[in-house]
Amino acid sequence: MWEFWIRSLNASTIFAIAGLGEVVGQRAGVMNVGVEGAMLFGATIGFIVAKTTGSYLLGFLAGIAIGALIGLLHAFFTITLHGDQVVNGMGIWILGFGLTTYIGSPYAGPLGMGRIPTIGGLSPFFFVALVLTFVIWFVLFKTHWGLRIRSVGENPTVAEVSGINVVRTRYWSVIFSGAMMGLAGAVYALDYNPVWSYNLLMGWGFIALALVFFSMWNPYILLSGAILFGALWQVSLNPESFLPNIFSRYIWRTFPFVITIIILVIMSTHWFSSRWGAAKPEALGLPYEKD
Amino acid sequence: MTEIKQGDIVLQARGITKRYPGLVANDHIDFEIRAGEIHAILGENGAGKTTLMSILFGLTHPDEGEIYVFGKKVNFRSPLDAIDLGIGMVHQARKLISAHTVLENILLGHPHAGAILDMKKTAEEVKQLCDAYGYKIDLNAKVWHLSEGEKQMVEILKALYRGAKILIMDEPTSALAPPETEKLLETIQLMTKNELAIVPFITHKLPIVLSVSQRVTVLRRGKIVARLNTAEATEQSLAMEMIGREVLFNLKRPDVKIGKPILQVENVSIYDDKDYWAARNISFEVREGEIFGIAGVSGNGQQPLAEALAGLRKVSAGRVLLQNEDVTRLSSLKRWKKGIGYIPSEQRAVGSIGDFSLVENLLMSYYYDDQFVKWGLIDTKKIRQLAQELIEEYNVATPNPDVKARNLSGGNLQKMILARVFSRKPRLIIANLPTQGLDVGAMEFVQNKLLEEKKAGAGILLISEDLDEIMALSDRIAPMYEGEFMDILPGGSAQRETVGALMAGHKQKAVQA
Repeated sequence: MWEFWIRSLNASTIFAIAGLGEVVGQRAGVMNVGVEGAMLFGATIGFIVAKTTGSYLLGFLAGIAIGALIGLLHAFFTITLHGDQVVNGMGIWILGFGLTTYIGSPYAGPLGMGRIPTIGGLSPFFFVALVLTFVIWFVLFKTHWGLRIRSVGENPTVAEVSGINVVRTRYWSVIFSGAMMGLAGAVYALDYNPVWSYNLLMGWGFIALALVFFSMWNPYILLSGAILFGALWQVSLNPESFLPNIFSRYIWRTFPFVITIIILVIMSTHWFSSRWGAAKPEALGLPYEKD
Repeated sequence: MTEIKQGDIVLQARGITKRYPGLVANDHIDFEIRAGEIHAILGENGAGKTTLMSILFGLTHPDEGEIYVFGKKVNFRSPLDAIDLGIGMVHQARKLISAHTVLENILLGHPHAGAILDMKKTAEEVKQLCDAYGYKIDLNAKVWHLSEGEKQMVEILKALYRGAKILIMDEPTSALAPPETEKLLETIQLMTKNELAIVPFITHKLPIVLSVSQRVTVLRRGKIVARLNTAEATEQSLAMEMIGREVLFNLKRPDVKIGKPILQVENVSIYDDKDYWAARNISFEVREGEIFGIAGVSGNGQQPLAEALAGLRKVSAGRVLLQNEDVTRLSSLKRWKKGIGYIPSEQRAVGSIGDFSLVENLLMSYYYDDQFVKWGLIDTKKIRQLAQELIEEYNVATPNPDVKARNLSGGNLQKMILARVFSRKPRLIIANLPTQGLDVGAMEFVQNKLLEEKKAGAGILLISEDLDEIMALSDRIAPMYEGEFMDILPGGSAQRETVGALMAGHKQKAVQA
């Protein structure tokens, strides 16, 4: 049982870090559905750099840097060129999927470095995620910075006449958001499961994306959701130890994704938006054009 | 900054010119504003007010001309530059973030807001401002809970807290109920005592201009046509300057025999988009040759009611009868066929399709007519012919009927929509804010057309936020407040004050009066 919870919390770390990044971007009004793509980049580049240099630090930094670069790319297309956020996000996913497969294949296999030390099996990154949750909550709700980020996500026109530089604020938010996704990917490939293989993330980025909607854009709820999904994931991997012989293991494997779909469907209903819709950043998904 | 005294020139514009393709929006505008004065800038839609306002607030860059603030020449790159120099703006469409609290809105973008927000200190400082002007407002309330008047207060507070010395107000009274307007006027007069210069930009509501301002500058077609001391001006003279000809302020209400009821609404209740009650237990009837006016400030349920009667929104309880036939559950199309004509409040979003030509827009009321569409094929020649006739009859300024609807001005587009609806000879017309946003000339045209329809025996349900319009046109008046009719008054004898009080929810006061 202990083992199960440790594995769950380690998995939730990755959902949480990626999800927190997406929360910041979406609070600023920019949705990036290519979380999976950005994470794949972070995982693959981080893995390659760590393996070739033998340095974990450089690996993580490379993961963060490539994530930030993907964020910058997303920002350029959606903010400067007013592209459709969903379409561009899908583009990032497809690009990430294809390119990392190409770049990563020669490095397929285990990392071959000493494992990062744990605290009774628990990854130190779990504590990083805890700190990040608090810091991001504090910044978003208690600082002028956060007020500016939330304002450009709610109503960029109003923010502009209040003297806020909408474009700059959105750019930084999206770049930060990408860096977090890159870090999440690097944590997966260097710490959680240090083996590079084809499509190594198996859709975790999409779960992180769904968690953002589930969280009502609140970092604390996001963390709780991440832990819930971390546990669900472990259940889906080893269903026999909980409910033996009920379904085939392959059906169990779909559970986190089925639940993700159900959450997204519920969130998009009229019933939901009329009760809880106020939490959603009003300008989410809308390009901002000055007139 | 040196001490400003009453009467000092605080802002001066010299030769401001702004050209857009095919039009000069501002043509060598010169004027100055003094500390402690209310200086109204008056003009029809399209006279160049919005452009001038944007230039003064740094949103638009003038092609020529200079602006001096407190005697220094300035060059605004963005609104931030203007704000920093002490220019505040109260927008017509509220520039507030509804999901944030009042305090968060006031603090947003403030230069003294530290990295970590000190809500307590700000709250105290804003409280002082509130006390100074007699404002009562919950600073921690979310903005979407507030009334229009309160939202405007927040905007004013925000500008003052930023240190505004010159307050530009865009149509400050357009969304307010009469008592809120009075409160606003009181406040701005109080503000001028503190050397604040106030510059309201106004399209209509001439009495308000006359009651509070010291000076008036009138714009027409991008040029200043008059600079007056308000004491020397009259309502008629200002209107004449604005549109360049005399306007009839007293519309002649034709003597029409009121006939049988056309529309009967019985205990109708409607939900809004958020599943709250938008209208409850509404009962009334509209008769042949009658204009039934619903007066009210926007957001009190008029819009959902109009949509429900047009078949665009579900009626949750009650019945709607059209010429004694139950139409409560009928689709919009069936209602059009049975003789309902609907003029929606949003000309561009609901009343027309911007990328379609006028002919295609006209077809939206004719596609179900066998005379124009046979076997699914449109008789292009015939509909084009009709479009041409209507354009002439309704005086729509357009080179030809193939122009896209988006290229028409508000007034011309509304004329086209009226033409489309009225040419179907409806028995019942639902006119939702038919003159909102129109200039005085177009407004008069629309009002006269409504009276013509009345003469022809149609029943008209007129929904308007303009009390003068309601008073001038309606045979009966229902002031609406928070989804309910406060009363139904006879149009001829109703007092303006009574209706105003009722539409602000003061039932008690009205009974006494």
